[in-house]
Amino acid sequence: MSCSPFDLREYFYRELADPQRGQVEAHVKTCQSCREELDRLRLTETALFALREEEIPQRIAFVSDPVFEPSPWRRALSAFWNSGARLGFASAVMLSTALVVFALHRPAPAPVVNVAPAPAQTVAAAAPGLTDAEVQVRIDAAVTKAVVGVEARQKAQLEQVKADLDGARQRLLLASQEFDYNSKRQGAHYVTTGVVAPPGVGEPK
Amino acid sequence: MIFRAVEDADLIRRAARGSVEAYNLLVSRWEKRVYNYLLRLTRHREDALDLTQDVFLKAYQNLRKLDDPERFAPWLYRIAHNEAYSLFRKRRPESESEEVAAEATETGINVAGSSVFPIELSLAVAAALDRLSPDQREAVVLKHYQGFKFEEMAEILECPVSTVKSRLYTALELLKAELAPIKGVS
Repeated sequence: MSCSPFDLREYFYRELADPQRGQVEAHVKTCQSCREELDRLRLTETALFALREEEIPQRIAFVSDPVFEPSPWRRALSAFWNSGARLGFASAVMLSTALVVFALHRPAPAPVVNVAPAPAQTVAAAAPGLTDAEVQVRIDAAVTKAVVGVEARQKAQLEQVKADLDGARQRLLLASQEFDYNSKRQGAHYVTTGVVAPPGVGEPK
Repeated sequence: MIFRAVEDADLIRRAARGSVEAYNLLVSRWEKRVYNYLLRLTRHREDALDLTQDVFLKAYQNLRKLDDPERFAPWLYRIAHNEAYSLFRKRRPESESEEVAAEATETGINVAGSSVFPIELSLAVAAALDRLSPDQREAVVLKHYQGFKFEEMAEILECPVSTVKSRLYTALELLKAELAPIKGVS
């Protein structure tokens, strides 16, 4: 068991940070057992290096054959689909483009029209130089004309509705008369043939 | 005109864009290390060579999925690890270690003709590595022979750093018991 402040083997493998290495080195100078342990590790590694690397018996080389090489387009496509980051970036670009296009082609909001003061403004704008009385006369005439027009339209609509209702009432009367006539005719038929009611299909006679 | 060394990251980017020349240069830089890593794992030269070719082919096919070129080494070794274990599963679905250990003892991975290290020592090292479990041996290979950091090893082996340390330290104790006296004597 080592009494070193840090693992001697990590020191030996150079896995310790510099301050820790310094502490271990200071300890090893004063500790006989740790020094011997470190020597054994070094001897072991030296022995391991007796087994040296061998040369590779046959060099490896690849030959470029255009027949088997994927086309640049296919390579680019493959690289694109195999990369999550690129796919994500492309999605973000498409989304941004869509947002920009939507923002540029969005229809303008409908203008707000102030209806009430329009006639006066129109009259005043159309005929500058008129007195207020003349303007008022013109407004009155326009209002009267509009009211007459509206009343005429309403009267015409009323007449139309009245005519439609009369037509419907006539059709209902005709249908009612026809129904009465058919009922009487069916009753007369049953009386002349002596049959009370026609038998249904499958019913016992 | 400015001259600078072409780094792996440059080659990876060019290879990912379809430059086979750049990829071949990259392969030439890494093939020996990957081959030796697979050789330690499989302890069979032909298997190691076949697997090395498969590893670089698979790496080329998936190079565009490598987000950070700086992480190329752990990524490449992860492929190599998967390829090796895929081979183990195909050939030895039950117990891989005993059979391979016997084969390795017979064939022996050694460095003949080394003047610095006697052949007995390299044989002893090969035998000591053979006695480790496959997980422990791979940890030793990745740390001592390939020089990876604990975090990179955890990435390659797909396990926590604590597991990596546990495997490595256990293996180190076994190797220390077997190899340190030999070296000390020699």
